[in-house]
Amino acid sequence: MRGLKNVASLPRTKAVKQPPSGPSRDHIARQLALLTIGCLTAIFLVSSGTQFLMPGPLTSAHSSIESCSSCHARAGTGKFSWVAGLAASNPHDDSKACLTCHVMPDTAFNAHGASPAILQQSTTRLVKIAAETYQPLSAQAQEAAFPTHDMVAAGLQCATCHQEHQGANFNLKEISNEQCRSCHAVKFDSFDGAHPVFESYPFKRRTRIIFDHAGHFGKHYPELAKKEPGKTLPATCSTCHDSSASRTVMAVAPFEKTCSTCHLDQITGKERASGPKGIAFLSLPGIDVQSLRKKGAQIGEWPEDSEAALTPFMKVMIGRSSSGAALIQSLQGVTLQDLSAANDEQIKTVTSLVWEIKKLFHAMMSGKASDILANLTIGGSTKLSPGTIADLTANLPRDVIASAQQQWLPNLAKEIAARPDTGERQRSGWNTHPVNHKSAVLAFMRSQPAVAHLRPLQFAQAGGNNFSDGDTAMPRRPLPSGTPRSIEQLDQEIGATPPPSAKIKSSAPPEEPAPNASNATGSDAAPSGDTGTSPTTAASPSDPANQTDELLAPTEAELREIKAREKGAPPQKTAAPAATENPASSDEKPAATPPSATATAAPPSSSAPTTASNPDQTTAQTENAVDNSFDAESWADTGGWYRQDHAIFYRPAGHKDKFLASWLLLTSPVAAKGATGAEAAVFEQLIAKDAQGSCTKCHSVDDIAGQGRAVNFTPLSAKSKAGQFTRFAHEPHFGLMGDRGCSGCHEMQKNTPPIKTYEQGDPKIFASNFGAVKKEVCQTCHATNAARQDCTLCHAYHVNGVSTPIMKTKIPTP
Amino acid sequence: MAVQRTIEGAAGPSGLRISGFRLKPLARAAAIAAISGLLFACVWLYGSGLRDARYLDGWLLAIGMSFQVYFHIALKTAQLSPKAVVRWRTFHISLGYVLIAAFLSHANFTLPDTALEWALWTGFIFIALSGAFGTYLSWSLKARHGMSAGFNFDRIPIRREEIAQTIHAAVTKTPSPSTDLPLPALPYDVWILDLYANHLRDFLPAPRHFTAHLVGSRSPAQRLLNEIDTLSRFVDTPRQEKLAAIKDLVIEKDRLDFAHVYLLLTKGWLYVHVPVTYALIVLSVLHIVVVYAYASGAW
Repeated sequence: MRGLKNVASLPRTKAVKQPPSGPSRDHIARQLALLTIGCLTAIFLVSSGTQFLMPGPLTSAHSSIESCSSCHARAGTGKFSWVAGLAASNPHDDSKACLTCHVMPDTAFNAHGASPAILQQSTTRLVKIAAETYQPLSAQAQEAAFPTHDMVAAGLQCATCHQEHQGANFNLKEISNEQCRSCHAVKFDSFDGAHPVFESYPFKRRTRIIFDHAGHFGKHYPELAKKEPGKTLPATCSTCHDSSASRTVMAVAPFEKTCSTCHLDQITGKERASGPKGIAFLSLPGIDVQSLRKKGAQIGEWPEDSEAALTPFMKVMIGRSSSGAALIQSLQGVTLQDLSAANDEQIKTVTSLVWEIKKLFHAMMSGKASDILANLTIGGSTKLSPGTIADLTANLPRDVIASAQQQWLPNLAKEIAARPDTGERQRSGWNTHPVNHKSAVLAFMRSQPAVAHLRPLQFAQAGGNNFSDGDTAMPRRPLPSGTPRSIEQLDQEIGATPPPSAKIKSSAPPEEPAPNASNATGSDAAPSGDTGTSPTTAASPSDPANQTDELLAPTEAELREIKAREKGAPPQKTAAPAATENPASSDEKPAATPPSATATAAPPSSSAPTTASNPDQTTAQTENAVDNSFDAESWADTGGWYRQDHAIFYRPAGHKDKFLASWLLLTSPVAAKGATGAEAAVFEQLIAKDAQGSCTKCHSVDDIAGQGRAVNFTPLSAKSKAGQFTRFAHEPHFGLMGDRGCSGCHEMQKNTPPIKTYEQGDPKIFASNFGAVKKEVCQTCHATNAARQDCTLCHAYHVNGVSTPIMKTKIPTP
Repeated sequence: MAVQRTIEGAAGPSGLRISGFRLKPLARAAAIAAISGLLFACVWLYGSGLRDARYLDGWLLAIGMSFQVYFHIALKTAQLSPKAVVRWRTFHISLGYVLIAAFLSHANFTLPDTALEWALWTGFIFIALSGAFGTYLSWSLKARHGMSAGFNFDRIPIRREEIAQTIHAAVTKTPSPSTDLPLPALPYDVWILDLYANHLRDFLPAPRHFTAHLVGSRSPAQRLLNEIDTLSRFVDTPRQEKLAAIKDLVIEKDRLDFAHVYLLLTKGWLYVHVPVTYALIVLSVLHIVVVYAYASGAW
């Protein structure tokens, strides 16, 4: 040491002068800096792109992205264009580039991608909780030093949470609890710490299926087990519920596996005690024809015995045009079956309705159902697709309409061809000469021993005859009184070939009043051309007894009444005669009493009324005839179309009946509570408590603000859970619940019957069979040093989901 | 003797000892640790606030590096007084340690992925390590080996030459013949000459044991001293005194070699520290421009 000190103490002046090392070092430093710049410049010039500037590899999902400008909107494609990114611009430009692949709603940049209203609602709720929650110091420091409110208010960018260029295996979705906490009003340390207790989780709304668990467990199942011991009843929760389809949804098993055992017959109507089992779709509504004729309304032929109502479906179909809609509107307050006190305007309206109905039937005969409903738009919706139309009509066969038309309105084609709105006078719907009512004639007819030749309603094989073809074998029947003259003239023209009915009439006894198609209403009435062969041709048209309008003939109901009276049985009002019915022979052959209705698949074949005049033939036919004494409604017990009285009914075929579902779906948007439109009437009819099909016995109906109502046909799905902030997967918990199973979390509450709450439309007002899940239940496992308890385990960020569009691959063309 | 010297050097003339440690370095280390901890906490809070924390620690790093560069420029332009230089140097070293913390935070405690990042990372690591090495050398020379900052590297060869000449003169000087006893004398001087020829002649003229000094080993020097001590036991008193003097000079020569090595390193590390700093500045400017050109997300 001494020596060294001596060395140090040597005078510096004696030291050998060495060149200073500083300049040399600085020189090297400058050279290295220049070399660095040179290297970078060379790299810029040599490289094909700007990838060498990347701070790190992309995640594997993004690894195929080669151009920086795919994500960095301002980067451009040039070697130095990226410098433009230094200029100020919209901070969301890059995030919008993300949305080209990751499709999100317009609210993508809002917190949670939720709408401001939902965020506001949620924040208001949470602020109250926050006041009672202890905030950790770190949260307070973060809030004070780096508040996030303004940043969130300006809209979050994707890269705020998803930071790329951190390697192929980096988890872009990873987000810390603290990051979640920074925005939230309630700041807590952990789930097992100050996380707020659950508020009625998981029930935010009532279930879509109306089901009283307690009622079934406590009453229905035991009763059924007692009543039908062999019947299989649900033994475990998993009989009806499973989550195999989606981890986040505990779905209800299909109807066929669960409810059908007991409830299928309610849908098809087998268990229905009263009322029709089908839904009246088309009808000829009962109208006060007498009053109409008295007031000179030209309605043409119309069954007087109809007691059917104008179905809401028909109202919808008639109302599909603006004039039709106005007509339906003007019908309000009009009682169709009693028009005695109706004013002229109402009579005109009803007359128009009659012709609209006829036009509708004619259109359905001459065209297709798709033609009728193609221009049906409800609530501004788009035109109906063929598939929807097929559902809405349940593929209603033309034969069903044809057979109905032939029985109810056999001269429809002629009437439509020369309908009153073809001329100015007729357009008014008025005839200056009122027709005589048929009641007097009817009285006369009843006094006759045989009225077979007066039977105008010949039922023809619908499939074999073209209803609009005058040359077909289908018997034309005489035109009714009140038929516009133009129709009569057309009838005469068409009737060049005498219709079978005329031939029949010619074979009738001369003393019997023959049906006459001529109008007996006075000067406007011209003699019918086909009356020449009739023995009653010379009869005075002024004589009511000689009026050959088939309206003078007894109606089906009246005939049944007559027969019943003759048999001493009480009259049946609902039965409608079949086509083969022959009132004249009814006395002789009571066994051939016509069926009250016609089933769709096999409409009974008509036989000519001449059979009535030949007892042998009649006997032979009776022996060979298929017993038609069936109830069409019962015949259609597996569902489908049938005809009864003056209406065509549809009987639900089972669960997921497309006819019912399609009409409910179609009309629900305009069927808000209190709506008075025809569509709303359809909806109301189908959701009524005693409605056929009983759809809404199980499927709840929700009010949707501004959008009518909705029948919850769609089961709970992962998609329907969109917008929910909390998620839960049942499956991983199944093995942990022990003997208690589902009831470990879902405790049955027997004193809260849920059914009542379905009587109103707000799905958020409800009572659940099960109590809310308690936080403590989850906390038994999800705690510090135990199962995960990070925020994203149970809470989703993108509550409305993120979807990736499918590829737009063009079909290769030569 | 050597141990005593080391302790004396470590304590220093003005050093205050508390339980064997000096307060000032400890306080400085604690302050560096506290500031680094605060930096990490701030970065964590910043990141928790939905911002990209790399912007915060990146800017802290850039600002700190600017201070360091300013010190270098100030030294070069002689803007600072000698006292200010001492203070700045202390600040430079302390800030350097804090910047290492900032850098680790900025790099997210991971290795880089791309060439540009590797260049930045390597540059910073070189600067940091060279700086830490220089700091260690400075401390080591002063505290462990008693060499002050003013120790003159250029005087070492002169002193080394003086030592070599002194030993050479001592070994070759023939003592006056003894008149006491006519008995034939043992060849003590031959033995000393033999020692010189075999062990000291190569040792004295140039710096030796470079590697041993670099790693802090004293074994080569100790072997020489052991040879001298062994021979001392077999010579007479005058030769013993001569060997003792030679031993002292050998020790001094060894320390000169140590000083030579360390002073060489002290100068050498700056050849890494400063030029790489220049290169890092270039890369850092490019880095900042690229980062802001491609910036996405909140910062």
